[in-house]
Amino acid sequence: MASDQDEFLRATMGAMDLVYNLSRRLTDGRQDAEDLVQDTFLQAFRAWADHRRPKKVEPWLATICLNLARSRYRARARRPSEVPFEEWMVQAGSSSDPESQAVGKIEREQLYRAMRALPEEQRVAITLVDLSGLSTYQAAEAMGTPRGTVLSRLHRGRRALARLLGDRIEEVTR
Amino acid sequence: MMRWMRRGFRRRPHDPERNAAEYVTGELSKRATRWLEAHLLHCEDCWREVLLGRLGRRIAAEAREQASAGLRDRVRGAVQFTSEGGPAGPAESLGP
Repeated sequence: MASDQDEFLRATMGAMDLVYNLSRRLTDGRQDAEDLVQDTFLQAFRAWADHRRPKKVEPWLATICLNLARSRYRARARRPSEVPFEEWMVQAGSSSDPESQAVGKIEREQLYRAMRALPEEQRVAITLVDLSGLSTYQAAEAMGTPRGTVLSRLHRGRRALARLLGDRIEEVTR
Repeated sequence: MMRWMRRGFRRRPHDPERNAAEYVTGELSKRATRWLEAHLLHCEDCWREVLLGRLGRRIAAEAREQASAGLRDRVRGAVQFTSEGGPAGPAESLGP
């Protein structure tokens, strides 16, 4: 018979990228984001072991992550970003072609700055829906707001990104 | 039901932001999608919002990152440690 731990890990580890992407958008650095991911999974595991189990794990983990971020990381998340850009760049430009790397870096740098420039509510909505694949119904549940509010934040965030970076993207792909 | 949905959609106030958000996210019903696509042919406001929404969604998707194998191991280890009766304290005390 599978233990609580095994069941929990089997049910939730597939949502690791979702929690990681959300944490990255809510904190200022990779280390803080990884701590938030770990705290999220530990809190979720305690609830799981206490037989408080969700029907769907993704929105549940997102809710826990958002609540933890609000209570423990918000003050830091709202400060102007002090993240060394090089840290954010670690995963960028895996190609060995210098030209591809250069283009990748320019886009990544601009994308990073544009995402950081969005209001937190828009950044979270985009992360939950566009990066993590939640429906707007699930995102609304996780964010504790009406779905109409999520749709509005989502669209305004997308529009801001398009206006900030659209010319650059079209230039590169032309 | 379908007729109600169609009427409900038609009765909604003209809201280009909401239309674009639902359309670009792929959350409109088939009937509502057909209605909106016909509407887009002559509504510049909705068309502009759909274009911006599509581009913004494409850009946002570029920001997706993958959790490292090290982080996955760290979380597995922390959960195992907690389930074995270890202290479920702050992340710092359970680091790798």
